[in-house]
Formats: sequence, structure tokens, C-alpha cells
Amino acid sequence: MTNDMKQGRQSGAGEWIKILAAVGVVLLGGLIYLIVGGIFSGIGVPMWVSGIIAAVIIVPLTLGCLLKWDKLYGVYKSTNKMETLRLSKTEKKIYGLMSIVLGIPAFFKNLGLTIWNAIKAAFSAIGKELADIGSTFVHGDWKTKISYVVMGFGCLARGQILRGLLFLLFEAVFIGYMILTGSYWLSMLPSLGTQGPTKEYDLILDVEVTAYHDNSFKILLYGVLTIFFIIAFIYTWRVNIKQNKMAEKILASGKKLRSGKEDLRSMVDDQFHKTLLALPLTGILIFTVLPIVFMILVAFTNYDGAHNGYTNNLFTWMGLDNFNTMLSWTSGKGGNTQSYAATFGEVLSWTLIWAFFATFTNYFLGMFVAMAINKKGIKFKKGWRTILVLTIAIPQFISLLYVSKMFARNGLINQFLIGMGWIKEALPFWEDATWARITVILLNIWIGIPYLMLVTTGILMNIPADLYESARIDGANAWQQYQKITLPYMLFVTGPYLLTSFTGNMNNFNVIFLLTGGAPTNAAASSASGNVGYTDLLITWLFKITTGAESQYYLASVVGILVFVVVAVISLVVYNILPSIKNEEDFQ
Amino acid sequence: MSENNVTAGKRHMGLKASRVLANSTIYLVLVIISVIWLIPFVCILLQSFRVESTYQVGYVMPQQWGLDNYKNLFQTDFPRWYVNTFVTALVTAALQTVIVLCMSYTLSRFRFKMRKPLMSFMLILGMFPGMLSMIILYRVLKDLGLTQANAVPGLILVYVASSGMGYYVSKGFFDTIPKSLDEAARVDGATRFQVLKKIILPLSKPIVIYTVLTAFMGPWGDYVFARYISFGTSAGMNVAVGLYNWLNKDQIATRYTMFCAGGVLVAIPVAVLFMCLQRYYVEGVTGGAVKG
Amino acid sequence: MASVKLTDVKKVYDNNVTAVHDFNLDIKDKEFVVFVGPSGCGKSTTMRMIAGLEDISGGTVEIDGVVVNDLQPKDRDIAMVFQNYALYPHMTVYDNIAFSLRLKKMPEDEIYEKVTNAAEVLGITEYLTRKPRALSGGQRQRVAIGRAMVRNSKVFLMDEPLSNLDAKLRNQMRAEIILLRKKLDTTFIYVTHDQTEAMTLGDRIVIMHDGYIEQVGTPMEVFEMPRNVFVAEFIGAPKMNLMETELECSGGKYYVRPFGAKIEVTGSKAEELQKKGVGSRKVLLGVRPEHITLADASAEDAIPCKLEVNEMMGSELHLHVYTPDETRLIVRVPTINLSAEKRRAMVYGAQLYITFEGKVMHFFDKETTKNLIYGD
Repeated sequence: MTNDMKQGRQSGAGEWIKILAAVGVVLLGGLIYLIVGGIFSGIGVPMWVSGIIAAVIIVPLTLGCLLKWDKLYGVYKSTNKMETLRLSKTEKKIYGLMSIVLGIPAFFKNLGLTIWNAIKAAFSAIGKELADIGSTFVHGDWKTKISYVVMGFGCLARGQILRGLLFLLFEAVFIGYMILTGSYWLSMLPSLGTQGPTKEYDLILDVEVTAYHDNSFKILLYGVLTIFFIIAFIYTWRVNIKQNKMAEKILASGKKLRSGKEDLRSMVDDQFHKTLLALPLTGILIFTVLPIVFMILVAFTNYDGAHNGYTNNLFTWMGLDNFNTMLSWTSGKGGNTQSYAATFGEVLSWTLIWAFFATFTNYFLGMFVAMAINKKGIKFKKGWRTILVLTIAIPQFISLLYVSKMFARNGLINQFLIGMGWIKEALPFWEDATWARITVILLNIWIGIPYLMLVTTGILMNIPADLYESARIDGANAWQQYQKITLPYMLFVTGPYLLTSFTGNMNNFNVIFLLTGGAPTNAAASSASGNVGYTDLLITWLFKITTGAESQYYLASVVGILVFVVVAVISLVVYNILPSIKNEEDFQ
Repeated sequence: MSENNVTAGKRHMGLKASRVLANSTIYLVLVIISVIWLIPFVCILLQSFRVESTYQVGYVMPQQWGLDNYKNLFQTDFPRWYVNTFVTALVTAALQTVIVLCMSYTLSRFRFKMRKPLMSFMLILGMFPGMLSMIILYRVLKDLGLTQANAVPGLILVYVASSGMGYYVSKGFFDTIPKSLDEAARVDGATRFQVLKKIILPLSKPIVIYTVLTAFMGPWGDYVFARYISFGTSAGMNVAVGLYNWLNKDQIATRYTMFCAGGVLVAIPVAVLFMCLQRYYVEGVTGGAVKG
Repeated sequence: MASVKLTDVKKVYDNNVTAVHDFNLDIKDKEFVVFVGPSGCGKSTTMRMIAGLEDISGGTVEIDGVVVNDLQPKDRDIAMVFQNYALYPHMTVYDNIAFSLRLKKMPEDEIYEKVTNAAEVLGITEYLTRKPRALSGGQRQRVAIGRAMVRNSKVFLMDEPLSNLDAKLRNQMRAEIILLRKKLDTTFIYVTHDQTEAMTLGDRIVIMHDGYIEQVGTPMEVFEMPRNVFVAEFIGAPKMNLMETELECSGGKYYVRPFGAKIEVTGSKAEELQKKGVGSRKVLLGVRPEHITLADASAEDAIPCKLEVNEMMGSELHLHVYTPDETRLIVRVPTINLSAEKRRAMVYGAQLYITFEGKVMHFFDKETTKNLIYGD
């Protein structure tokens, strides 16, 4: 009876998941259709061809899923993973796909839980801090209590002169800064300035002169800095209170406090990490964190060439307008111009395609070259490597710019081929979208293989030789050895590297910009913004947006944020699938 | 018995023959690859000596050899760009190495409360396109007077300040030095600073050289930051920005071979340095990739 | 030369795993104490807390009466030998040994004196100018010891110093450590997972398991009076045989009934049982392999069993036998007690008869695993 009920419920859930899986498969098919179509349409193959390709992949998969569903789902649900061992080869493949698709809800659930827990932890931590601040005040002695207002007083009163003076100095600087300028920047932050430049009549010189007033750029920048400063102050204040509490505890237990000399000595000993990190982290804070925060904020303003915030017009907060513009499918400028969303989509899809090819062509070809050079019996190993490594040794701007000109309409290659009479017209390496895209990927191989060769050589040599010896005794041929030992090992070890190299290629400014500069121009897409070309990546497009006559910094910021989102999502998903993260010890 | 020997002999021959075949195929492939890899560099070298035409031509061997292109370089701002780049690279190499080593050593050796959050935070920061920061950094540096003609210190500041983010490779290296060495030294009476100075640094020669090398090579190839900060002022440009402009539509006809000559002058010292220190570069790259 | 006192010492890792629970121990001046236990029992962690390489989560560590919890390792005046030796690869052997002395700013003459003395004692004088990588495992081990020796520190810590050596070298070094200890005459704390090392080296042995101390005592105490099943099995090789059986108490005499036989408990064990007032009950009977003897088939209370494996160790045989109810037992028989004929008969499946010696048996409670006599 109970058994029946259980089964009934189980099959009910099974049906539900079956539908989900079917949807997953259809989505997968759509994805394949889009990716294949995206690549092929670039080369001029009609979309229906990619439709057929997608169908060829998806239909057997769907059929397989439907026919084997009950068996495979049973295995998936059962806790005994031994059962997977008995599946046939195809069944195993379908099973693998199935577990990925079925794992997606769990992934999002975990992600949600992680975020939720982090939020909860943050709030409870803040709560604890506040409680501690309160209780320290209530239970503290008078020195501690005064320290709540006069930072470092407790330290000074207890003989820790150096610490006390530092705290006091920091408080003085902070108060001074806030009174002198901080409060101004902070008060202007909500409006980003009220008065732009005005024309004023100069009585003495008898001319119209421009008088400059508020500076939106500086307000935003120093506003952010002031907020940083306030956060730092609150943190220091909190440290000051903690120190009082600790000092009281130490004194109560009859021990001595650290003297200033001891404090200094501890900076090269037990506190040495703080000394070492101080400089690098300050640099990162000012030159990386601050600009990023600033640029994120710019995405919510109308900062551009026409609103530079000082000499022509002030800029101001626009809320989510820019994101609406970027992500809406209707053209902002009206007429025949393309919407930003469409342009963004085009550039993004080429960026992904480029990153995919740039990463994997280099990876596999680099690995093959490395294996060829490493093969027993091949001589001059060092010589071959040295020749290839030239592309790393010589600054990229020389090699890329030179090669780019070699492939130009009137470049060396075209002139040579025409001169030899092999072609009549110059090959459109950089003029035709498809030609340009393929040439870029090929030339990237030229630049990238040596690096990958170096990387993989080291790893290939780390594969224990007895693995191959054992495989050969088991009867594996060269291809099987590659497929069953080399490749899994390489993928395992280089998994994280592949991920970073994929995201790195998405942002590979140098190769694209120096080779093509984004050319050839995509007229339709350019009508939205910037001089968008067919080989433009998001990152080069972003650069063009900021340098054009319009200098739409706010749009560049939006693109930058979207690049971040794409990179973060890809990293997060891949990171969770990577076997080297999941089963860290497998190959060790 | 003798029959057995014969078949074994045959098989042996077969093995040998197939190995010879495989190896010769590989040699062929390697030769082709090498040619493809070398062609551009040979071309650029040859064209830098070409006198008869300053523009692109359909042949490789110059008809008239000469050093005109090199001489002409000195009529332009090229020497200035060269010095700019060299100084930038030198100072950056020194400072960046210190910063990167501080960062990576700390993250490898110390266990403090904020370590993991700090590393995740930097990972996330790294996902933002760095170019975005240039807009504001340019304005800030301009206020400080470190742009245009004074671009060199500005550029150094930009390169060095955020270099702490690139700690991965050297942290991977430090992770391979056994922690028990630190512990032994600390028991022996060394402070943390002495451990770094007397134990870790002497053992870190490869990674120090790797870091110096990559930091030195970076500025030679950087285009975008250098262009932002020099902002059209020739005196503040580095070689990449300066030479890039020569290939513009309006200059390429007269400056193409000079570009080649400039390229050769830039490439030679960097490439020679790289080739000399190749071993350390390979060590760093391999270790870094494995550690992720 | 100092005492070490650990009071309620605790180690809790960030992931809330407790590696060491309330560890209490008083180590006297010049005592040689061995921490022994299976891997992961917390013995190394405890030592590292004494050294200051690991934060102390709770309790106090005192060296010579001074609480050292907050002191850096360098300020605790300890010397330590690491499992993998931790020799500085870029320094010569001389520089390795001199390292700590140079940090103390000792004059070079004095350093030379000390280093060469130590090297002589350890027999490594000829290697002083070499780098560690040119040395063999045993030589590296000596350098590591030398480095610790020259410091004349209060406490000498050794963390599994012999486990990277091969068996022969390990025996040799063990003997040398005993001699070294005589020469140095200081307080030693020694960590190992090898009970033989523990038994041969220690004045006192601390047996640890899952972060708890199972027993502290001299080698003789832990061998003869194990407090619980864990200690009984851990100390002694081959390990003690355990079987469930009845303990009968009738007429002031105690009997055990293993496998149907009836064996009287004699000697001090019987007296102890009486003193503790143990009555008839189920017990876990522990008998060491050397306290099982071969008996004639005709003997009273002989237990029949079959031979499974015969390990010939030279001076003795280790016989793995199983009783009719499939209990595996190990019997240790001196070779000298067996005639050549009997020895030849010791093959797989041979029928043997065994009996237990009544005066050296151990009785454990099956639930608490405590020894009924020494359990508390």
C-alpha cells in the first residue's frame, strides 16, 4: 500500500521532470541552431543548413532520451551509482547529458542558497558588531568610553602612545577633510552639480568670457572618494573600539600591553602580511576599484562628449535610462537605424564565436605541435621551440601590425599572388566580413600556438610515463593513447586555464584592434553607435564608443557592465562544471 | 624456433619503418610551420633595408639595399618614443616585481581572515574590462599633470598600481616551496621578514626573473593605455603608439619601410632578452597555467 | 632543559573540526615523551601547538612555567626536527646548521666551534660544505638533527623524524637518537605513528586517537596494562587477539570460556579481578599472540583450529589460524620450540590445537571498550 503510493508519487515527479527535460532538449537544439547558424551565416551559409545540423544532433538525442528515459532516469535517481557502469556506450552519453540538464535546477538552487546565506551571514555579522559596540560601551571603563568620541584616547591613556597618536591623527584628518571639502562633494553628489559654465560679460576687457562653475566629473569622483573615506573611517573607529576592549581584557588578566616598539617589530613578524599587502592593495584600491566604481556609476548618468561635466554641459543622473536604451529592441534614433540591442547582440555573438575558436584552435593545435616536438626521436627540439617562440618574444604590435598590412588589399601577399598571375583581383582579406573573420582567427593561431605549446609541453611531460606503458600493454594504439590518457589528463589539468583563456580572448583587444581595427564596417550596426565592424569584439566596440566624436562614456560603461555580466556568468557556470574543481584529487 | 625469429624480425622492421615514416611526416610539418612562423619576421627585416620604395611592394628581396630607413628614423620622434618606452619598461619591471611578489608571497604563505574574500574579490574585479578605467584614470592623471608630454610617469603609475592583481603565477610558484622550510626557519629564530629574505627569496630566482621579464616586456607592446595617456602628444608616446600612427592611411605610403626599421630596432633587444631568459619564462608559464 | 605543561589544550580548525580535545599533560624536565597514534589523531597538531606553528584554540601551553600561547616560535626557545627534514636547499650543510646561531648574532668563531662539534657527533663532518640535495636520506636526517642540536634549546621537538627512512636505516637512527638523548640531556617530545619507536624511545608514551588521549604511561604500563581496546590493539606487534567470551566467577576463582574451552585465570590478574569485585559476565577477552601456545590434541581444553597463513620471521613463526567458528587469531611461536618435523607440518589447512596462558589475559567491556581492571 505505502509502497504503491510511493511509486505513484515518484512517477508523478518523473513525468514532471520528463517535461522539463524535453524542454531542456528543445532549448539545447535551439542553442545549437543559433550557434551553428551564427557561425555559418558569417560565412554565407543559409540558416536552414544549420537547422538540419541542429536536427541531426537533437533528434536522435530526443529519441534516445524518450526510449531510454525510464531506465536512465531510474539510474539517475537511484543512489547506487554502480548501475551507471552497466549502461551501454550511447546510453552513457545520453545519461551524461541528462545529468547535466537535470542538474541545472539544483545549480540555481545552490546558487540562490549561497547568496541567501551570504546575505544572512552579512546581516548577522553587522548585528553582532553593533551588539559588541554597545556592550563594549556599557562594560568599558571611562577610557574606553571617551575613545568612542576621541579615537585613540584609550590607547594613549594606557600608554600605547604610537597607536593612540595614529588613531587621533586619522580622526583629525578625517574631520578636517570633511569640513573643508568632503561635505561639499557629498552634498553635490545627488545632483552632480547645479550650475554649468556661463557666458559672462567682462566689464574691463569688454568681451564675453566663459565662467566655469560646478564640475560634474570631479563631484562624482570626489564624491565616491569621500564615501570610501567615510567607510574607512567607520572601520578604523570600529578597530579603535575593539582595541580598547582587548586592552582592557589583557590588563585585567595581568599582562602587559604591547609597546610602540613592539608594535613596530610585529610589522615585520606576526603582522608582516599587513605590511606586505599595504602597498599593493592601496594601488588596487585607487587604480582599479575606484575607477570601476566610478565607471559603474557613469552608466547611470549622461556623461558623454557633449556633457563633459565642466567645459560644455554638466552631466547628471539618468537612472536606468541607458540600460533601457542598450537593451531595448526599438531604435533610439528612429528611422532606419538599428537598435542598440540588435547591435549588441551581433557584437556579442561574434565575440563568443571568436573566443570559442581562438581558445580551442590554439589549444588543440598548440597541443599537437607540442606533442610533435616532444615525440621521441625528433631532433632539434630546442630549435623548433625557439623558432615558434619568436611570436612571443617580439612585441605584438610589431608582428600584428606588420602581418595586418601583409594581408591588406595592396599588401605583400595580394601583390605577390597577382604578380605571380595566380589571382586576378586582390583577395578581400580585410574587406569582406567572412574573409576578415576567418583571417583573424587564423592569424590568432599564428600568435597563440607558441604560447600554448609552451604551456602544454610542461604538462605533457608531467604525465607519468607508466600510464602510457601500461596502456600500450593493454593494447592501446597511438590515437587511443591520446584519446584516453593525454586528452583527459590535459583537460583536467588545464580546465581552469581554458576558462581564463576563453574570457581573456573575449577581451582580446590587442589582436583584433591591431589586425583589423574592427574592419570591415558593419553599416547597419554602426547606425546604432560607434563605427562597428564585423570583427569588432565588445571590448573594441567599447573603445570605439569612448573615442568617437560623441564619446558616449555612459554607453561604454553600460557595455562594460554587460561584458562583466557575460564573463561572470560564463565563469560561474563553467567553474561549477569543471572536473578539476569538482574532483580535485583525481589525477594527483 | 627459427621461424619465430624470422617473424619477430619482420615485425621489428615494420615497427622501425613506421616510426621512420611517422618521424619524417613530423619533420615535414615542423619545417612548414617554421617557415610560416618565420616569413613575417624575415620580411620585416628585409624590408627595413629596402631603399627603392617606401611603400608595400609585391616582392621580398630589396632591389636596393641601404640603411636609409634607419637613418630617417632619427629625423623623427622615434628616438624619443624609444627612450620613453625603455624607461617605462625598466621602472615598471622593478616596481611591478616588488608589488607582485609582496602580494603573491603573502597570499601563499599567510593565513589571515580576509585572505579568501580578498582573492575572490580580486577575481571578480578582474572580470571588469580594464579599459573602462582608462577614461577616468586619464582625467585623474591629467589633473596631476601626468599625461601628454609627461605620459611616462603616468603610464608607469597605471601599470604598477594595479599590478597586484596579477599574482596568480608567482603565488603558484610559492605554493610549491614546502611550508616546512618557513616553519623550520621560524623555529630557528627567524622573524617572518627574515624568512622571506633568507629562505624564500634565494629560492625564488626563477619566478623573480619571470616576473621581471614579463613586467619589462609588457610596456613594449601596450598600445591602448599608452595611447590614452599620451593623447596625441608625440613627445609622450611609446613605440607602439608612435609606430601605429605611421601605418595610418595618410602616412603609410612614406613611412611603411621606416615602420619596419623601427620594428626591428624595438624587436631585437626585447627578443634577445626573452630568448636569454626563455627557460624562466617557460617555467612560469607552465606553472601558472597548471595552477590556474 | 625545561618542563612543558599543557592544560586543556584544544585545537579547532576554521571548518569547526576539532583536531585536539582538552589535552592535559605534564612533561617533566629532561623527560622523553612520545606522542603516538594513527594518522589524523592530533599528535602532530599538538606538537605544532607547542612549537607555535599552529594557533592554540583553547587552554594553555607552558614552557618552564611561562605561558607561551602568544609567543612566536622564535621566542619559545625550542628546537624542532621535521618529518621531511626541511633543510634549506640553497644553503650548505654548514650554513644550515649555523642558521639559527647566526640569527642570534653569535660570533663566527663560536658558531664554527658549535657546528663542527655537532657535525662530529653526528658523523657528518665531511659533508659540511655540500648542499642538502647531494646527501642521502640518512645524512639529511643527521643534518636536521644537527641543526636542532646546536641551539641548546629548552625543548627538543621531533615530528616523525624517521618515517622517511628505509627500515634498516630507521633502526640504526633509532639507536642513535637514544644515544643523542643521553648526550643532550634535555626535554624531548617525539611524534610517531610507529609503536615500536614509541616503545623503544619513550620514558613515557602518550597514545592518542581522534584528538583524545587514550592513555599515558611508561612503555611497560601501556603494554601490560592497556586501559582500553584501542591501546591494547595499538601497542604490540602482531596485535592483540580479541574475542567475545564469558567470564565465570565461581568459588573465588575466575574462568574464561573461549571457543568452548575452560581456562582458569591465574596470578595477579585473578587477584585484580577479585579486588575490583568483577562477577560473572560477558567480556571481550584480549590475548597477545605470544601468550597463545600450541597444545597437544589430547590436552584438556585445547582449542582446535586450522592454519591459514604461516609467516616465518626467523626466530619465530606468526601463525594465522581460525577456530571452528571462523574467528581469526594470530599465534606467535618461537621457532626454537618446534621440532623440524612440526615445522614442516605447518602448512595451509593443518590442524592445530592451541591454549591460552591464564596469567596474562586482558578483559574489556564490550560496550565501553574499557579494561575491566585498569579501565578507570
